[in-house]
Amino acid sequence: MSGSPAHESPGMLQEAATEPLLRLEAIHKRFGAFEALSGIDLQVRTREVVAIIGPSGSGKSTLLRCINQLEPPTSGRVVLAGVALEAGQEPSRDALMRLRRSVGMVFQSFNLFPHLTVLRNVSLAQERVMGRRRKDADEISMQLLSRVGLADKASQYPGRCSGGQQQRIAIARALALDPQLMLFDEPTSSLDPELGLEVLAVMRELAENGMTMIVVTHEMHFAESVSDRVIIMADGRIVEEGESAQVMRNPTTERAKRFLHAVNDR
Amino acid sequence: MTLDILQAIAAGIPWTLALTAVALVIGAALGQPLCAMRFSRWSAVRFLASALILTFRSIPPIVWLFFIFFGFGSGYLQISPFQAAAAGLGLITAANMAEIYRGALAAIHPGQWEAAFALNLLPRHRFLDVIGPQLLRVALPSGATYAIGLLKDSAISSTIGVSEIAFQAYHTSQRTFHSLDVYAIAGLLYILISLPMASLARWIDIKLRARVAR
Repeated sequence: MSGSPAHESPGMLQEAATEPLLRLEAIHKRFGAFEALSGIDLQVRTREVVAIIGPSGSGKSTLLRCINQLEPPTSGRVVLAGVALEAGQEPSRDALMRLRRSVGMVFQSFNLFPHLTVLRNVSLAQERVMGRRRKDADEISMQLLSRVGLADKASQYPGRCSGGQQQRIAIARALALDPQLMLFDEPTSSLDPELGLEVLAVMRELAENGMTMIVVTHEMHFAESVSDRVIIMADGRIVEEGESAQVMRNPTTERAKRFLHAVNDR
Repeated sequence: MTLDILQAIAAGIPWTLALTAVALVIGAALGQPLCAMRFSRWSAVRFLASALILTFRSIPPIVWLFFIFFGFGSGYLQISPFQAAAAGLGLITAANMAEIYRGALAAIHPGQWEAAFALNLLPRHRFLDVIGPQLLRVALPSGATYAIGLLKDSAISSTIGVSEIAFQAYHTSQRTFHSLDVYAIAGLLYILISLPMASLARWIDIKLRARVAR
């Protein structure tokens, strides 16, 4: 206590400690007449791992894409690491850049750049966005590729890598920008079970090392064992939310029960 | 005799090559903003781009060249035959390249844009580092085919007095009355120029394909 500087009031410190990394307020997203998201409120704290599950078309991916504004919400507010974006008003480029800079995203279809080597895929944005020198960027990329077990693929083109390898490279590429939050949009859905496993292993390692993550997934075991919290979405709403084992084993709402029944009956 | 004819016609080769190259460069460059305009958020700009492309493509090249050279050239602008031909063929090429780029853009997976956005790349980096190279790769075969077509179309410029191969052939045949030999040689020259163009394009295509093979 005696060590704390006098000019910082305890109130401020406390606020800083409890302020979630991400706060979504009443997010709506409409595509024409179709409402994909009907009022989503969500808070994610630093180092938390949140899994979002639910039937196809329930708005899970759209929600992720609203967070980094790949899909700007129709209404509502996104506050991420102190940057607030209000839907409906054109965000300043600066705010958009700052927001996107703190988020990394991994896609279902990997989306590696096919004309660049694996190393270049990981280094490119470090140079262009963070202003790192080529040599430094490549060094960091090699460390990240080692971390996902693919240092030997650095000089290959992505097309020569398996789906599981491509997805691990995509994770390395996103990590290279030092994101505070990682978004995973069904990262294993286009992989066969074995290749999916190697991607899940990398994600598990990330989670254990304290990365804040939101994972849209159909991997129920991963959702239950790795994430701190599970959210079940249906029809553009959150129908169940809570501590992972609790949600997965004893859901309270009818809709969540129905979904988990369908999953468990397979 | 044949050597004389060959020499006379060969004098047109530099002009044929220069006109094709200049029109291609103009077209490849102007085709980009023209293609971008087609994707503008303002409908007026999209409409203008479509109208320009339609206009450039629907009017025969020879009419364009006459329009520019005799129309603008007489009185409004001091313009040489080569300049008029380069401008006319360049604009037509731009319209065609815009359409080739548009087709290539559609062939690029939307996930490439999304990844570039998610990595926070600036618009110019999105284009120069991510989309552009893939676009060139996809546009190359149709672009090369168009370039060979353009090489042949450059013969039209003989009508306004650009001293390229067809122009030289016409005047040589008038002078020597060896029309058969003259035009056969001229045709042969066009083939000899197109062949390396085609194989160069194929070679680049195979190179690029090998690199990004999925």
